[in-house]
Amino acid sequence: MGTMEQLTLQLRETAREILESKKAAAVIGWEMGTFWYSTAPAILTRPEETERLVWNEYCLNNLAKYLLDFQNTDEKVAIFARGCDYRGINRLIQDKQIDRDKVLIIGLSCPGMKDDKKARELGQNADIPLAKKCEECTYPDALAYDLWVGEPKEAAKPAKAEAKVFPEVESLEQMTADDKYENFAANYEKCLRCYACRNVCPACSCRECIFGNSSKEWSAKANNLSENMFFALTRALHVAGRCIQCGECERICPVNIPIMLLNKKIIQDIDHLFGPYDAGLDPEDKMPLGSFEFTDPEEFM
Amino acid sequence: MFTVQESEIRDLLNVLNKEYKVFVPAKVGDESKFVPYEDNVEFCWDRNVLLSVKDKFFPQTEPLYKFKTKRQNLEIEPLAPKDEPVLLFGVRSCDLQALNCLDQVFLTKGFVDEFYRTKREQATIVALGCNEAEDTCFCTAMGVDPQKGHGADIQAHWLQGKFALEALTDKGQKIIDTLKSYLKEENLEVPETKGFQLQPDMDGVPEKLKGMFDSDLWTEVARKCLNCGACTYICPTCHCFDMSQDVRGEEGFKYRCWDSCMFEEYTLMAGGHNPRPTKKERVRNRFLHKLCYFPERYNMLLCTGCGRCLSVCPVNLHITSIIDKVKEAN
Repeated sequence: MGTMEQLTLQLRETAREILESKKAAAVIGWEMGTFWYSTAPAILTRPEETERLVWNEYCLNNLAKYLLDFQNTDEKVAIFARGCDYRGINRLIQDKQIDRDKVLIIGLSCPGMKDDKKARELGQNADIPLAKKCEECTYPDALAYDLWVGEPKEAAKPAKAEAKVFPEVESLEQMTADDKYENFAANYEKCLRCYACRNVCPACSCRECIFGNSSKEWSAKANNLSENMFFALTRALHVAGRCIQCGECERICPVNIPIMLLNKKIIQDIDHLFGPYDAGLDPEDKMPLGSFEFTDPEEFM
Repeated sequence: MFTVQESEIRDLLNVLNKEYKVFVPAKVGDESKFVPYEDNVEFCWDRNVLLSVKDKFFPQTEPLYKFKTKRQNLEIEPLAPKDEPVLLFGVRSCDLQALNCLDQVFLTKGFVDEFYRTKREQATIVALGCNEAEDTCFCTAMGVDPQKGHGADIQAHWLQGKFALEALTDKGQKIIDTLKSYLKEENLEVPETKGFQLQPDMDGVPEKLKGMFDSDLWTEVARKCLNCGACTYICPTCHCFDMSQDVRGEEGFKYRCWDSCMFEEYTLMAGGHNPRPTKKERVRNRFLHKLCYFPERYNMLLCTGCGRCLSVCPVNLHITSIIDKVKEAN
């Protein structure tokens, strides 16, 4: 594989060609942020802007969510996609938020991104560890694409999910009910309810969210443990079976709530109840909580 | 100035704790914030805390009054704000300036917010100078002196393993007098704050922004915004709130809570119209409020350069880069 600097040039060239030939109206990628350890999503529409694109060890943002901004246009949008972006795009396709025909997927192979918070703390000369979400990643490459940037890849093997065991879920399950509650309360007591987790999530695509509609009085704007837990549980259950495990919610939480813990617990339960399943690998997949089979467990009936 | 060894700061805080409810900057797990002083707090002196002292004066959720209905009768019981003397030890200059901004909003131009006023008058503030800036800091560019907290009662410095205290008000002097037995009089040199990396040039920006409401800049910069409220809720100067109520059966209470101009619902009107329908209008409003509207109304910026929004924005849409872009715009 070429170095990331070389790939950056290829990214720019590919993006420029797409915009010049009008194969897509916009290209979604990454550009440098304010600091050496930061990049930002870049949504580009003019060929000359493509010089801003970068591909480096801090391209942490999952880009899929930005496709929603093009929901109401007829034009095609190009998007750079590693495994996590790819799964996010499939999430939106499968949830009927966007049409596959309107997306031009430019596949990438991801070496794993570095932890920007650690980078800030440790400094430029230190050995910076991988971001947690990347350490846990099982699909670093886009599995299907319209264009590919980087070394040509062998034909992608059909992805097959394996039953997942998350150590943090295992230790959670060992706890007594009271300890679980305490753990849950300690995590969500500090929630600011800024909804960054919801807004970054490719599985959160409701046009109207109940947490953005206080006049219905299903939920209150008040910040207290009860409302915060209600938000956390509602979101976890709403993305159940659809969470693509990109870990963005947890990575960007301003107060470091381990948001993926609930998601992982549900993912592990789904594997256990319905067989191993990884969301977002193929938009044609049957979703375990979105379909029914006579062999499904019904212990509660 | 008067000094005390860092190792003896707890003795001093214990004395103060008898007369005041003392809050100190502390590390709490992965977070840092002001917490009530106790023997076992883990102080956070080396950098500013993630959550500012804003919520000590303007809590995220604040009950205002209780109500009860009985047939035709309505009983209203006002909920008075907590009236207890509070001492905040170790507030940075940027966060003090933020309180000065909030004072403008909640205490001036004929509108006095009693809930805010009570808490503000009950508070004694010990400012703490910054010897080193974080990479996200840019207070000097916003006219804030990191070694001098404007509006504090005492200015403290953390120097050579000691805390040095200087009274700035009579209230501060009284406190120093009561602590005299713990303090040694000596003069330490206060160094210039090191390490600023960001210096956005604010010169002429508020004036220039007056003519930039229709600029294409907003469409471009807003594209990456997720419209979450992280920047506004972490900001020490953002002060928008919404009124709401909690009703159970025939009784309930009215409260106010923080709101964010980044949210769609914030400007949603009763008939369903939204004058700020997309993220472009919301992003524009946030930056115009901070850098143009507020200076126009109160003659001060609504950004103090604390840098918190730079460290929490999920997409690195930084106010410093907005200022740079405004400067560059034709």
